[in-house]
Amino acid sequence: MKWEKDELTAFFMILPALLYVVILAFIPALESVYGSFTNIHSSFTLYNYSFVFDLYGYRPILNTFIVTASALGFQFLIGFVVASLLSKQFRGRTAFSAIFLLPFGVATIVTAVIFHDIFSSYGGYANTLVRALGGSALDWTGYFSTSLLVVVLADSWKNAPIVSLILLAGMTTIPPDLYSQAMVDGAGTFRRFFHITLPNLAPFIAIALMVRGISEFNIFAIAQAGLFPSPLLTTMTYSLFDIVNPHPSYAGATILLGFIMIFAFFIMLYRDRSARVA
Amino acid sequence: MVSEYNNPGNSKYYFIIALIFSFVILIPFYVLVIIAFAVPSQTIAAYYPSIIPTKFTLTNLMHAFSGYSSVLEAAFIKSLITATIVGALAAFLGFHASYGLSKLPVRLSSLIISVLFFSTMIPSLTIAIPISVSFLKAGLYDTALGLALAQELVVLPMTIFMITGTLQTLPKQIELQARVDGAGFFQSLYSVIFPLALPGVLAAFLLSWMMSWDEFTFAIILSPVHPTLPILIYLDSTARGNILYASAFSLIVTVPVIIITMALSRFIKGNYMSSGLTG
Repeated sequence: MKWEKDELTAFFMILPALLYVVILAFIPALESVYGSFTNIHSSFTLYNYSFVFDLYGYRPILNTFIVTASALGFQFLIGFVVASLLSKQFRGRTAFSAIFLLPFGVATIVTAVIFHDIFSSYGGYANTLVRALGGSALDWTGYFSTSLLVVVLADSWKNAPIVSLILLAGMTTIPPDLYSQAMVDGAGTFRRFFHITLPNLAPFIAIALMVRGISEFNIFAIAQAGLFPSPLLTTMTYSLFDIVNPHPSYAGATILLGFIMIFAFFIMLYRDRSARVA
Repeated sequence: MVSEYNNPGNSKYYFIIALIFSFVILIPFYVLVIIAFAVPSQTIAAYYPSIIPTKFTLTNLMHAFSGYSSVLEAAFIKSLITATIVGALAAFLGFHASYGLSKLPVRLSSLIISVLFFSTMIPSLTIAIPISVSFLKAGLYDTALGLALAQELVVLPMTIFMITGTLQTLPKQIELQARVDGAGFFQSLYSVIFPLALPGVLAAFLLSWMMSWDEFTFAIILSPVHPTLPILIYLDSTARGNILYASAFSLIVTVPVIIITMALSRFIKGNYMSSGLTG
C-alpha cells in the first residue's frame, strides 16, 4: 500500500521534466510540420515546399548526406584508433586522455573561427605549410572538395572525442578472455578486430552512430561561419527564416526532421539486427 | 589496429602514438593563442603567416575589450545568466526526474527514457523557429530566460541519464535504513540521497552550464538582437569580418570551458554522452 503511494510520488517527480520536453520539443516540432503545409492565413498549401525546391533544388539534401557520411567515417576512424589506444596501459595515459578530451569543451563557433584562421586563403596557416612543402596556395573554402575537407576536419576535431569515449566504454565491456582465446587459436590483429571487437561493440557503435549522425545532419554553426559555403539543410532553413513569415522555413525544418527520422530508423534497425545476431 | 593483448614492450609505442595525437589536437589551441597575443602583422595581416611568431603584444586583447566594452560586457552577462539558469534548472529537474525513474517499474521508466531520447532527435532548428514565434508573443524573445528555457532541451535528457548513473552506484541499503529509522519519502530524498548524489548533480550542472555557454543554434534564432558570446563571435568573424576581435572573444569563451572540461574529465564518460548532443 505504502509502496504504491511512493510510485505515484515518483511519477509526479518525473512529470515536470516530461511535460517540459513535450511542451518545448514535441509541440513545436508538430507546429513546424503543420506550419510547413499552411500559409499565413492557415489554409492548406504545398507552396512552401515548391518555393524551397525551386530556390534550392536537391543540392542541400545531397550536400547534407555527403557531409554527414564523410564526417561520420572520419570520426569513427579516429574514434577507433583513440579508443584502442586508451584501452591500453601506458605511461601518462590519464594525462593523454585529458588532452584528447579538451576539444569537446570548445564552442562550435570557436572551432569554426580557429579553422577559418587556419584555412583562410589570406593569412591562413594551412597555406603557409603547403608553400613550405613546395605546393601552391589554395582557396580552401572556394571549392566543394576542399571545403568538405575543412568542414570534416573542423567538426571531427571537436567531436571525435565523443566517439572515442563511447567506443572506449564499449571496449571495456568485452571480456579479455575472448582475445586470449582467439590468439591461442591463431587469429591475427585484424581478424580479432573484425570478429571480436566489432561484433561485440555493435550496441555502442549504434549509439555513437545515432548521437553523431543526428548531430552531423544538424551541422550548422561551422558551415554558417563560412567554412562550407554550399547550402546544407540547416543553412538553407536558416536563410529562409523570417519571423514575420516563417512558413517557408518550416518546410526546410520539416525536411530536416524527416531525414533525421529516416536515419534514426535505420540505426535502430541495425541495432536490433546486431542484437539478434549477438 | 586493436591489439588487446597487453604486451609491456608495446607501451612505448603507445606513448609515442599518444604524443603525436596530442600534438595534432593542440595545434588549433596554439593558433588561437598566437592570434590573440602576437602582433597582427605576423598573423592575420600576413599573407602567409609564419608558424612561430616573434613579436608579442597585449594590445590586441586590450583593443578588443576597450573598443567594444559595452557590447562585450552585455554579451558576457547574458551568456553567464543564461548558462546559470540552464545549469540550475537541469540540476533541479534532472535530480528529481532521475530519482523518480529509479523508483518506477522498469516498463514505465524505459518508456519515459525512450520519450526523452526521442526528444533529442528533433533538430534544434525545427524547434527554434516555431518557438521564436511563440516567444515573440509571450515577451520571451531575445531574453536570457527565454533562451535558457529553449537550451534546456539540449541538456535535460543527458542530465537525467548522468544523474541516473550516479544514483545507480549508491547502495540501496542506505535509503532503506533511513526509511526504517522513520524518515519520510522526501526527508530521505533530501537529507540522505541528495548529499550522496551531489558529485553527480554538480557534474550535471557544470556540463549543462558549459553546453549553454557554447550553444549556437537556439541563440542565433531566439536572441539575435542582444547576442550571447558565441553569437557575438559569429557576427564579428563573418558579418563584420573582424577576425582579431573574434579570436580575442573566442579566447574568453574557451578559458572557462577548458577548466570545466578538465574538472569533469572523470564524469564525461561514453555512457552518459549517449544523448543530448544534437545541434
